[in-house]
Amino acid sequence: MYKLIHDSRAKLKQAVALATINLKSFPHRAIASSVSILSIACVAAVILSVLAMTQGMVKTLERTGLDNTLIVMRAGAVSELQSVMFPAEVNILANNKQVLKNSDNQAMVSAEMFVNAEMLHIDKSGEKHIEKLALRGISKNTYHFRPNFNMIAGEKFKTGLRQVIIGQAIARKIPALTVGSTITLGGARWLISGVFSDNNSVFESELWADIGMVQSDYQRGNTLQSVRLALKANTDIAQLNQEWQDDPRLNLRIMLEKQFFANQAENLTRLIRWVGFPVAFIMALGAMIAALNTMYATIASRSKEIATHKAIGFSAFAICFSILIEALLIALVGALLGILPLYFIFDGWTASTQDANNLSQMMFNFELSMDLIVQTLLFSITIGLLGGILPAVKAMRLPVTVALRDN
Amino acid sequence: MQTNNPTKIAIQLKQINKSYQKGSNNVVVHDNFNLSIAEGEFVALMGPSGLGKSTLLHLIGGLDLPTSGSVIIGEQRIDTLSEIKLSTWRAENIGFVFQLHHLLPVLTAQGNVELPLLLTPLDNKQRKQHASLALRLVGMEARANHLPKELSGGQEQRVAIARAIVSDPKIILCDEPTGNLDRKTADEILTLLAALNKDYGKTIVMVTHDLRASEYASRVINLEQHIEEGKQSQLSVVEVNS
Repeated sequence: MYKLIHDSRAKLKQAVALATINLKSFPHRAIASSVSILSIACVAAVILSVLAMTQGMVKTLERTGLDNTLIVMRAGAVSELQSVMFPAEVNILANNKQVLKNSDNQAMVSAEMFVNAEMLHIDKSGEKHIEKLALRGISKNTYHFRPNFNMIAGEKFKTGLRQVIIGQAIARKIPALTVGSTITLGGARWLISGVFSDNNSVFESELWADIGMVQSDYQRGNTLQSVRLALKANTDIAQLNQEWQDDPRLNLRIMLEKQFFANQAENLTRLIRWVGFPVAFIMALGAMIAALNTMYATIASRSKEIATHKAIGFSAFAICFSILIEALLIALVGALLGILPLYFIFDGWTASTQDANNLSQMMFNFELSMDLIVQTLLFSITIGLLGGILPAVKAMRLPVTVALRDN
Repeated sequence: MQTNNPTKIAIQLKQINKSYQKGSNNVVVHDNFNLSIAEGEFVALMGPSGLGKSTLLHLIGGLDLPTSGSVIIGEQRIDTLSEIKLSTWRAENIGFVFQLHHLLPVLTAQGNVELPLLLTPLDNKQRKQHASLALRLVGMEARANHLPKELSGGQEQRVAIARAIVSDPKIILCDEPTGNLDRKTADEILTLLAALNKDYGKTIVMVTHDLRASEYASRVINLEQHIEEGKQSQLSVVEVNS
């Protein structure tokens, strides 16, 4: 056993020593390795972008919704936009004994209107811009369902007036939208009365206004699109659902609000992954072939050196190890070259995407967290190592006599 | 020329057959070849190109294996050793000097000479001491910190010799060590090898085309190819200067 450990340590020691010597000459091969380095850098950048984008979206959606709040929509609707509800239904829901009541003995219910609005605004140079944004008609009760809501500029809209408050993600993306400026929604002029934050949730990508004004301007009568209900603790959701399913006056779909947004996150990220990862995979394959080529070229140019090492007595394992270390170094340099610019330029950068469910823009931040960087590094290193394995085996099997004879 | 008094057999090649496949042809390099070299001999292997002189050197150094037959170095039969054991054996017993020296360009003379010592249990300080001693023996201590590109051909070959002797192997195998050198430098190298043989008892086997080598070697072996009846080639050993 002792001999085994001793031998293994000795082998590792010579492998590390040889790898160290190889690395000394790496700068001489850096230019030859540049194609491989750049390929891996591109892959790392694409992978990290996809991961950061996905993470940013997931986190934005995860920050949205409450655990004890029920969202109710029309049966069959997968998004608020597709749903239609009526005040009579809201009353039935509000009267359920499982719904919490506030200090005024009023049911804690928020009836909301959701419109995929075309917003027209004119910037300082007089140029017109049109943006598709989510306009949410809310009531005073709604604020109880947004515990993280906070006005960061201006004031809340006034009921009965064409006033909107805008989420800070919109304010960041369109700096022209300031408190006091006006925008056109549904053909009418609206005043921006304030800017709000909501813990970087999806709601920050929305415009909020008085529900009555939204219903009126968008000619929706008294219809609604979703209802939020605060439930008593330990409410049996399945039982509640069954109760409402059995009620012939209702034709609804219920879901915990947190779960609703989690499902949306899953749908969105699935889409990104379906597009992003195949592209990254193809690029990774290309980068691996580039690494393979580079390492084969390295071995061809160093065949005499490798043969000399063998003749001196370095083991095949040490030679294989030193080649793999070089492949690893190439991958590492490439990965850092791809990751660092992204980290310094895009971390926290606000991007937007069209929410496939609501057809409006959803803004989110690129989240370049350490675990994503580590994942990207590991992926890049794997590419490098996979590209280095065959050349390393070739170096290991290099016939010394042939290599020394070749000129 | 100084000749050592051989007592024990250092190298024994018994009934060596060596052939290799070249396309569809089986090329026979050695057919039933036998050779014994005693400890402390300085042997020059000479003869026309293509007779397998370097192949013999590679077989002795465990860099190549015979198709059949046995290679015995000291008490150890090496042609049956595994690749891993052969590497370790080579590191402990053999020093190589090549025609093109094959020094690592990124390492100084000192670094190149230390290279074989990385395979020993010596620590950094001990490695430096041993390398310095080896460089002193070949007269290169003043150039210890020079890179190979800063050295002349002869100096590079001296460093290569220092690398070959630094781990104190019993046998030094030289493949055309003077092939790329001018006459004066070649003589210096041959003098150095002869001194290593005479003063330190190293067994040296040198493949060379240099006719002056015979003045330095204790034995010169001419390998001549005898073709019998135009069918198969056989190598015989003609000992010229034993």
